Amino acid sequence: MHTLYSRVNNVSAMVSTCLMVLLGAISLSSLLFTADPKGTLSISSIQVFPGNARRYSNKNQDFTFVNFNLTADLTPLFNWNTKQLFLYVSAEYENKQGVRNEVVIWDRIVRRKEDAGLSVAGRNKYVFRDVSASFKDAPPAHYTLKYNIMPYVGVLTYGEAARTVDPVPFPERQDLS
Amino acid sequence: MGDILQRYFEGKIDFEGQKLVEQITRNTLIAATVVSFVVGYAAQSLRVLFGVFTLFVILLSAAVIPPWPAYRRHPVKWLPVKATKTE
Repeated sequence: MHTLYSRVNNVSAMVSTCLMVLLGAISLSSLLFTADPKGTLSISSIQVFPGNARRYSNKNQDFTFVNFNLTADLTPLFNWNTKQLFLYVSAEYENKQGVRNEVVIWDRIVRRKEDAGLSVAGRNKYVFRDVSASFKDAPPAHYTLKYNIMPYVGVLTYGEAARTVDPVPFPERQDLS
Repeated sequence: MGDILQRYFEGKIDFEGQKLVEQITRNTLIAATVVSFVVGYAAQSLRVLFGVFTLFVILLSAAVIPPWPAYRRHPVKWLPVKATKTE
């Protein structure tokens, strides 16, 4: 502490330690906020059309188009340590071999508390196709709205906000004629 | 001239001053951490938290880093030069 430089050095080292403590305290404070908001998700229409896989134009592929209605009030998830919410609607079903499939068909990033009251009539943003290229044997699927809370400091947390009440079956493949 | 400049940029303070500076720094930073967290949590804003903390740090730096005369009140008392036996 005898020279200017050593005082600057000392003070900055102590300030860094205090900042680390503050960041740890902020990330721990997220544990105090336990909100579990719920909403509703319903499928208004669902259709299956044949088409071609994008890369191989001679390979047949089934595509499902889903229109859904979504309402959820996710404002309780916003606290001082919430940077943004990542929301996604996914279709979950177990195929004939017992393998669990989960396909994300829509997502949204919510950055402000004001935008967290959702009322969305949407359709799938992303291509909904099956690994086996056909939805013929796929059992009815549940559609869920899940969220991922991204904090400023701390661990990522996940949750489920809405789920279709009854599983939604896949219709017969429609011909495009 | 160079001598004066060097003394200016060195900013030396005596040992009692250093002890005081160490105490002030440690106590102020502990208080700053606690106060800024409490105030920020009450306001539910990270911006408030870091704003209060930065304010504390700026004030502390102004009080502690420049070599104020208050830190030079107890200069080291050197013994008088003793005449050495020449051989």
